[in-house]
Amino acid sequence: MTTVISASGLQKRFGRTVALDGLDLEVTAGEVHGFLGPNGAGKSTTIRILLGLARASGGTATLFGQDPWKHAGELHRRVAYVPGDVSLWPNLTGGEAIDLLARLRGGTRDKGDYTARKQRLLDAFQFDPRKKGRAYSKGNRQKVALIAAFATPAELYVLDEPTSGLDPLMEQVFNREIARVSAEGATVLLSSHILSEVEELCDRVSIIRSGKTVESGTLAELRHLTRTEIAFATDGIEPTALAAEIDGIPDAHDLIIDHGRVSFTVDSDRVASVLPDLARLDVRGLTVSPPSLEELFLRHYGDELTARAAEPMEGARA
Amino acid sequence: MSTLATLLRQRLRRDRLQLALWIVGTALLAYTSVAAVADTYGDESERNQILQVATASRTILVFRGTPNGTDLGAFVFFELFAWLALMGGLMSTFLVTRHTRAEEEQSRAEFIAATPAGRVKPTVATLVHGVLANLVLGALVALAFIAGGLDAEGSWVTGAAMAATGIAFVAIGLFAAQLFRTSRGANGAGVAAVVGAYLLRGIGDAAGTPSDDLLHVTPAWPSWLSPIGWGQATGAYVENSLAPLALSLGVSAVLVAIVFALQAVRDQGASLLPGRNGRASASWALSGSFGLAWRLNVSTLIAWAVGAAVAGITASSLSGLIDELAGDAPQVVDTLQAALGGGATLEQAFIATFFGIIGVLAACCAVQVAIRARQEEAHGTAEQVLATPVPRTRWLLEYWFVGVIVIVVVLAAAWLAGLAGTAASDTPDDLVSLITQAALAQLPVSLVFLGVTLLVFAYLPRWTIVLAWVLLGVAAILGTFGPLLGAPDWMLDLSPFTHSPVPAGDDTDWSGGLWMIGIGLATAALAVVSMRRRELAAGG
Ligand SMILES: Nc1ncnc2c1ncn2[C@@H]1O[C@H](COP(=O)(O)OP(=O)(O)OP(=O)(O)O)[C@@H](O)[C@H]1O
Ligand SMILES: [Mg+2]
Repeated sequence: MTTVISASGLQKRFGRTVALDGLDLEVTAGEVHGFLGPNGAGKSTTIRILLGLARASGGTATLFGQDPWKHAGELHRRVAYVPGDVSLWPNLTGGEAIDLLARLRGGTRDKGDYTARKQRLLDAFQFDPRKKGRAYSKGNRQKVALIAAFATPAELYVLDEPTSGLDPLMEQVFNREIARVSAEGATVLLSSHILSEVEELCDRVSIIRSGKTVESGTLAELRHLTRTEIAFATDGIEPTALAAEIDGIPDAHDLIIDHGRVSFTVDSDRVASVLPDLARLDVRGLTVSPPSLEELFLRHYGDELTARAAEPMEGARA
Repeated sequence: MSTLATLLRQRLRRDRLQLALWIVGTALLAYTSVAAVADTYGDESERNQILQVATASRTILVFRGTPNGTDLGAFVFFELFAWLALMGGLMSTFLVTRHTRAEEEQSRAEFIAATPAGRVKPTVATLVHGVLANLVLGALVALAFIAGGLDAEGSWVTGAAMAATGIAFVAIGLFAAQLFRTSRGANGAGVAAVVGAYLLRGIGDAAGTPSDDLLHVTPAWPSWLSPIGWGQATGAYVENSLAPLALSLGVSAVLVAIVFALQAVRDQGASLLPGRNGRASASWALSGSFGLAWRLNVSTLIAWAVGAAVAGITASSLSGLIDELAGDAPQVVDTLQAALGGGATLEQAFIATFFGIIGVLAACCAVQVAIRARQEEAHGTAEQVLATPVPRTRWLLEYWFVGVIVIVVVLAAAWLAGLAGTAASDTPDDLVSLITQAALAQLPVSLVFLGVTLLVFAYLPRWTIVLAWVLLGVAAILGTFGPLLGAPDWMLDLSPFTHSPVPAGDDTDWSGGLWMIGIGLATAALAVVSMRRRELAAGG
């Protein structure tokens, strides 16, 4: 499989701020790759480096095997980009901006094809192209960039939080477009904070935090990293005895006995090993909840929160 | 009340450097000009003669005011007031737009409007801020004139006239901010109002009725439509009448009342003049990054080209009048020639002076094109263009190219208008070649400013706007006022404008121009090449 995006040990400093601190990212051809991380984690910065708009302070990044800083012009022929914060030209209408961006990308050579694609997107996104730049709402500005990106064929779509500001109906339209370009064989790098979007669209995800990659893999692989929750009714069994029983199971963690229900977690690949013990206890009302991605994300985002909360205290001690 | 104080403090804080520069700069200009005028025209008989020349030739009054006797104070007021009021007016309208429509457009105003400060108090705070700035400006100009040795009462009347005129422009700026949806629109309307007020009183003054001794002019009615004209009507240092300022303040009060009435009924972010819809798809002209750079600059270009054309036609029609004057009052022509200096003929001197101003206009226009590149970058729209196959170097090169076209168009507008004005002359052929030379002579200095601004953009992107205007402003003041202010030669030589070729028929020395073309091309080339190594620098 060919690698479309490859970054290793990527570093970026802005003065004393370290935005990227050894980031790794691997995206292979044809996949829809989710790019996740808390605010300020470095997603937009990574994307800018990949597009040759910013230069890495260290590490390497390649796009289609080439250095994006040196070969920006050629590489951009193959890429469509939707920035995280779309600004428009105040004296250009939305329709003019769409045409301009498509022409710059060289995607309008087949005029009939382009016009048909554009018209289909204008209808799908219910977009009025006649207004001047500043008169558009946030969601409508976003649509300009999305329509311009999807109206021209590209090998790689780089989308930085593309659905921020879109209403749920428009998100559906967006999802359909991603499915379409993906079916046509294009690669997509999608930075997002919206878990349902990532779950629905992405084949693989990379999660970054403070400029470093902390997880990367298929959704199924990542699910394995989380624990499955097992719960059942106490059903008259004496709690202290029960607790002792479960403490005896080596794979069980995080035991809670509350309101007549017992719950604990098990590493997802160890679920089968606890079943004999449960059978022995003859438990009633058993539920086994598969790990949610939400939990996984919150674990990574949450550590960040804890780390941040800890900072001022360390400062105070120092 | 405390929210108002907070808003006002925020405004003062944000503007402290900019306003201080503007106010102190204007006061310093006033101070040095008084000294220079007192030095050059210290003698009453000299003032007598120059006033007669001005009154007889009329067109000079467009750029000065109405003569009001030979008293030194009245003479200084005649020479300087309209200029100073123009600066105060621009300061006021920019100040107002910055804190009203620009904030609303960026939807920062929405944060504020959602706090207890509400929608209206920010406008009140801006009004108070603008009034304060103008009071300080008026007081400093008065003190500058007193320090320059002029009569105190007349100086305070001048200061009051400055303040009242500026306050009128604060009100006009607030009104424009209600009308237009974008800060560009509001700023454009504000500048048009200030320049319009300047020209209205120029026309009224030039069309006024002179006294028999040619030392006084009673302005015609157009001057009474202009806040700057009302300021002039105080007759500072002679009549010292504050009554005309009541007009300024009265009109301001009415406008402010309308502004608050509008603000009370309109939505946050909305405007009185609705934004118009445009084309659904781009025309062939917007076919690429060059088309975009052109499109973003063309409206600015038209405004500057119209200004240059007005200056061009004034220059050549004025030269025609000199011929008439030479028959009527030859001694006056001699004096004027001596004042303008050198062995050049009067016509040459006039054309050179006026086209010198046109050169400043062309340089301003070129600098604006280069600054537009920075605005595109800071605003985030350049990022979208540069994420397409357009290379950074080509992108900047295209801005340079648009800059060159803009310079050529501005100078050509002045040149063509100048040619149209030669009809009044007895010797149109000489004048035509003179005007052609004068227009060509402005090309090099504009190229220098275009190249230097692009170079600043390439190396210090966040400083582009400030540095470009400061460099241009200092150089233009040195180049146009420097000789009048008696600045030393080494200082004058620092200004590129000093090195523009002076049209003198066959004797014209083009060497300074050739050097500057070289510098202009070299700086631009360096800037474009440097873009290879340059990352995008976001706004801030
Ligand atoms: N031009 C810049 N100058 C200084 N610091 C910057 C600059 N650009 C980004 N940063 C810093 O780099 C870090 C990463 O920012 P980045 O925009 O990449 O985050 P992000 O992951 O896209 O966040 P979000 O989810 O909020 O969009 C932040 O700490 C930010 O403050
Ligand atoms: Mg971001």
